[in-house]
Amino acid sequence: MVTQAGFGNHKWAMAVDVDKCTGCQACVLACQVENNIPLNTQDRFERNRSMAWIRVERYWEGEFPNVKARFIPIMCQHCENAPCEPVCPVFATYHNAEGLNVQVYNRCVGTRYCANGCPYIVRFFNYWEPVWPESLRNHLNPDVTIRSRGIMEKCSFCVHRIRRGVRKADSEGRALEDGEIRTACQDACPTDALVFGDLKDPNSKVSEMKKSDRYYTLLPALGTSPNVFYLAKVDEDREVAHAGAEGEHDDGH
Amino acid sequence: MQQRRVIDQVETNRVLLNGQLDTPKWWLPTVIGLGIAVIIGFVIIGFMVNRGLGVTGLSRPVYWGLFITTFVFWVGISHAGIMISAILRLTQAEWRRPVTRAAELLTVFSLLTALIFPLIHAGRPWRIAYWILPYDFARGIFPNIRSPLIMDPVAISTYLTGSTLFLYVALLPDLGNLRDRTEGWQKALYTMLALGWRGNPRQWKLQTVGGILLSALMLPIFVSVHSIVSWDFAVTPAVEGWHSTIFAPYFVIGAVHSGVSAVVTMMALMRWLWKWDDFIRPEHFDALARLLIVVATAWLGFTFLELVFALYTLDAPEIALRELQIFSWPWNMMFIVFLMTGYVIPVGMWLFKSVRNNIALMFWTSLFVNIGMWLERFMIIVPGLSRRTPFVYTWDSYRPSMVEWSILVWSICWVTFLMLLFSRFFPLVPLFEQKESQVFVDKIKIGRAEVPAILREQE
Amino acid sequence: MTMATNSAVSGHAAGDQEHASHGQEIAGHVILAPSAVKDKLVGTTEAGATRFRKWAIILTVLAAIGLLGLVLKYLQSSDDQTKWGYTAAVAAFLLTIGGGAPLVAVAPVLAKANWVRPLTRLASAFSLVGVVTMIVMIPLVAILPPLITEGARRRSIWFESPDWTPHIFIFLAMGTLLMAGLGLFYTTALPDFAAMRDHSTGRRQRWGKMLARGWVGTTVQWRTLRMRIGMFGTFYFLMLIYVHFLFTSDFAMGVVPGWRDAIFPMYHAMSSIQGGIAVTIIAAWAGRRYLGLEDYLRLDQFWSLGRLLFASSLLWIYFFFSAFIVFWYGRSMADIAWVDLFIRGPMIWAFIPAMFMSFLVPWWWLIWNRIRTSVNGPAIGAAIVLIGLLLDRIRIYVSSWAVPPDEIHDKYLKHIPGTVWPDVFDYMIIVGSIGASALIVMLAFRLVPIVSIWQTQEYQLLSKPVKYIRGHGVLVAKPD
Repeated sequence: MVTQAGFGNHKWAMAVDVDKCTGCQACVLACQVENNIPLNTQDRFERNRSMAWIRVERYWEGEFPNVKARFIPIMCQHCENAPCEPVCPVFATYHNAEGLNVQVYNRCVGTRYCANGCPYIVRFFNYWEPVWPESLRNHLNPDVTIRSRGIMEKCSFCVHRIRRGVRKADSEGRALEDGEIRTACQDACPTDALVFGDLKDPNSKVSEMKKSDRYYTLLPALGTSPNVFYLAKVDEDREVAHAGAEGEHDDGH
Repeated sequence: MQQRRVIDQVETNRVLLNGQLDTPKWWLPTVIGLGIAVIIGFVIIGFMVNRGLGVTGLSRPVYWGLFITTFVFWVGISHAGIMISAILRLTQAEWRRPVTRAAELLTVFSLLTALIFPLIHAGRPWRIAYWILPYDFARGIFPNIRSPLIMDPVAISTYLTGSTLFLYVALLPDLGNLRDRTEGWQKALYTMLALGWRGNPRQWKLQTVGGILLSALMLPIFVSVHSIVSWDFAVTPAVEGWHSTIFAPYFVIGAVHSGVSAVVTMMALMRWLWKWDDFIRPEHFDALARLLIVVATAWLGFTFLELVFALYTLDAPEIALRELQIFSWPWNMMFIVFLMTGYVIPVGMWLFKSVRNNIALMFWTSLFVNIGMWLERFMIIVPGLSRRTPFVYTWDSYRPSMVEWSILVWSICWVTFLMLLFSRFFPLVPLFEQKESQVFVDKIKIGRAEVPAILREQE
Repeated sequence: MTMATNSAVSGHAAGDQEHASHGQEIAGHVILAPSAVKDKLVGTTEAGATRFRKWAIILTVLAAIGLLGLVLKYLQSSDDQTKWGYTAAVAAFLLTIGGGAPLVAVAPVLAKANWVRPLTRLASAFSLVGVVTMIVMIPLVAILPPLITEGARRRSIWFESPDWTPHIFIFLAMGTLLMAGLGLFYTTALPDFAAMRDHSTGRRQRWGKMLARGWVGTTVQWRTLRMRIGMFGTFYFLMLIYVHFLFTSDFAMGVVPGWRDAIFPMYHAMSSIQGGIAVTIIAAWAGRRYLGLEDYLRLDQFWSLGRLLFASSLLWIYFFFSAFIVFWYGRSMADIAWVDLFIRGPMIWAFIPAMFMSFLVPWWWLIWNRIRTSVNGPAIGAAIVLIGLLLDRIRIYVSSWAVPPDEIHDKYLKHIPGTVWPDVFDYMIIVGSIGASALIVMLAFRLVPIVSIWQTQEYQLLSKPVKYIRGHGVLVAKPD
């Protein structure tokens, strides 16, 4: 195993303040561009094969005149106890020492078992070889591998940005600052609803947010203990802050 | 038992070796026709591997579909062999004798077919070598033995190896028989395969001991194979309808149901095609149908338990899934067909002795069972996936593409093709078992009545 | 070779058990004269009167202690569900063995096995244990909370039914099971009652006359008898599965939040078959030992039962593991709670020996042919299995009932309760109910021979020893 300096000294996490989310979809677009995700053409949508490492789900609450739209951005939750990991026959997905749920494209053989295990449905399968129009060829991000057909992919917490940030801090001989590493979706978010950071740093913004009494995680009954957590919507009509996603979404289908 | 005719050994040899020594006329055209179908199937598989899984109807979140269903189906069929030859051998059921070979054969060939499906269903089949074949010692990366997908090939290949050995050990006396009745290259082939079989007492003893030992050793494997296949699904709490503790025995008993039914189908075909009316008799169908009534009813009980304890939690997603599975189009239609063909029609008919002794009806009812059992697997696997509720905005269901359907058809042709090919070179009904049963059958006089009796060796 | 029925032993008195009588034995196949069979077996109902009386008194005292324990326990803690785990375990244990044993008399008969003939009576008599089970169930049913508590409906198999459905249905089902078992027991005993009527004296002759209900053995009577055996047998089996289904889902799964385990009823029923086989072996061993039935309960019976016990022990671990792997691998909160509660939780002291005695020890004990082909080998295995089963029931039911009733509406179990040790009443109930069960079975065999006369004689008719190549064989008729 290749060991890197300082590897394992972090525990990456993301906080999503649902109260701030406006459902503008900027994060979705930013992610698409940053991570070389193939274009979601009409055909792909119709076959239910579209890919979006982060997506904004919309729910309607209430009856007509008093109706409210709710948004909740969902990406790979980087679970500490991930159901996708033990089922992979080739260790193409595993948990690294920094709390990331890592997808190794080279090892993946495309059994799609991990996707069945994932309760958040954030794993995507490349049914076709990815293609881009000629005009977009030069816009691809050189830091991110292009995934061939037949393998799984998912949100990586912009692992290339994490590596670059850590390496930079290392080479300058200083500690990593909070907020120095920003994911693409976070960069794009106009309301700062998404916050990325290190949970091992007690003073980081995510650590602060984790202490909030609006804190919850998605589907806690499955015991996945995700590294992505949410801060509940503030709403005078509703008491529930701690109910968690379960109570909120069990009836939302 | 009453309709049994005494058949001497010469006639037994003549009739049962007709596949090898006196090949029927229909054989060659049928095999050529099936061969063409098989080649077309391989071309379609090649096309799919070449172009990618985009040519299937799979989507998100229905990542597993018809291929996995068919995989489970063939693994299920493979449970016929050991059920018939090992369990009934250990329980000394006499009527098993003429069907043991066919059942074991079905096991071997359906397992070979089943193994192909996980392979072609993977996104990058050529990379599968990574995880089963050469363990990647150089990089210190091993396959993940916690994954049910590693346990699967281990269990199936163990089962395949054991079944092949079992088949071969039971074939030895007949190979010796064939060696003595053929000429030229065939004689050379059988001489090689017969391993010097002369039928002396020591060889018979070893053959019998080998058979019994293999039967006993195969039993745990028999149970484990389909259990492990079921755990592919059952260990996944994220999919409603999959995470059920009953899956292992439920799958095994369902496999026995479909496997034994497939054997019944085969028996009818063998009786018709090779005209083995004196060897495969209505009494055998009768016994198998009685066994099937018990197995099918147990299986239905498991189905019921699975359903009850799915609803037991009163969880909204679980109830929604069952509503989809049972009440909404097109699943409701499939559910009805599944229940009718898997249980109600066949078992309802088998209750009557006249049906159990009617070969044509047994043929069709047993075929029905396998339609129902295929649907059962489909209905377990797909609705659970297409109803992944809390966080998906794609609720559309899954429609298999033409490529998938043709590969399903291919698999059926492929198994039939292999069986027919086998029948050209090896007898489908074990001759020595047949002769042994003639020795063991006797009559006993009770009062004024003559009652058929069976001889048991005293230990 | 001719049937050597005439050369049988004559002149051993009924009830004489000092020297065991031997029929003519040819290579392990015994030929017994019909009259000798009748005399010997009818005699067993009166044999060893002194010893019987002694044991009857001991067991009656135990039963009384058990009843006292049950009443006192109810008076003391009728309001605390968590204290009733051991009582539930005992009820489950009795249901397990008493319900399972008659299956030994049913399944092989339907499969036309001959070795089971001398055992059918023994096995079906255990359905009488149902009486004791139902008595133990009374306080449990009183304590089981209704379906709707705190205004919310708890998880159960009774989706929309009224509050008290489980409480009523368990009694109905158990009563029906008892009736079916008694029906089986009585039907198969009819020809033997007739034999007692004709070959016994005094009180037993009067009983025989009353219970035989005019049996003379006409063709119609025999045909009806066979039909009834088939019917009662099948019905009994279905009913047993149903009772296990109700019992497990209402008295174990229902009291633990988030425990959803579809295999559990079948696991329970499976171990019931295992326990039934074990208790049949023990009873056959005792019958052979104390009633001098060496010619009737022979090696063949113990060997076959030993094989079945071995197979059922393997099935036990299979059913256990089927549930275990799903929970252990699934790792959702409810899954983890199951493992924490039932495996590594408060009852681990019962789980580990139960695992050894239900599976590991019987496995490595009964796997040897030498041990299975003996009388004592299977008996020892059976005794171990029975203890293992009791511990397994304790593991399951004590853990389940220890969950406080106010947590029943949670989605999954959040707090694993601590270990519950038995109090003095629990010991009284365990000892007493097992004593009462033994007593009731013993009493049955004062009424009717412990080995079925007609089935033994029928086998004598259907089989004859023959020469086979250089060894010996038995020719067994297979009438349709």
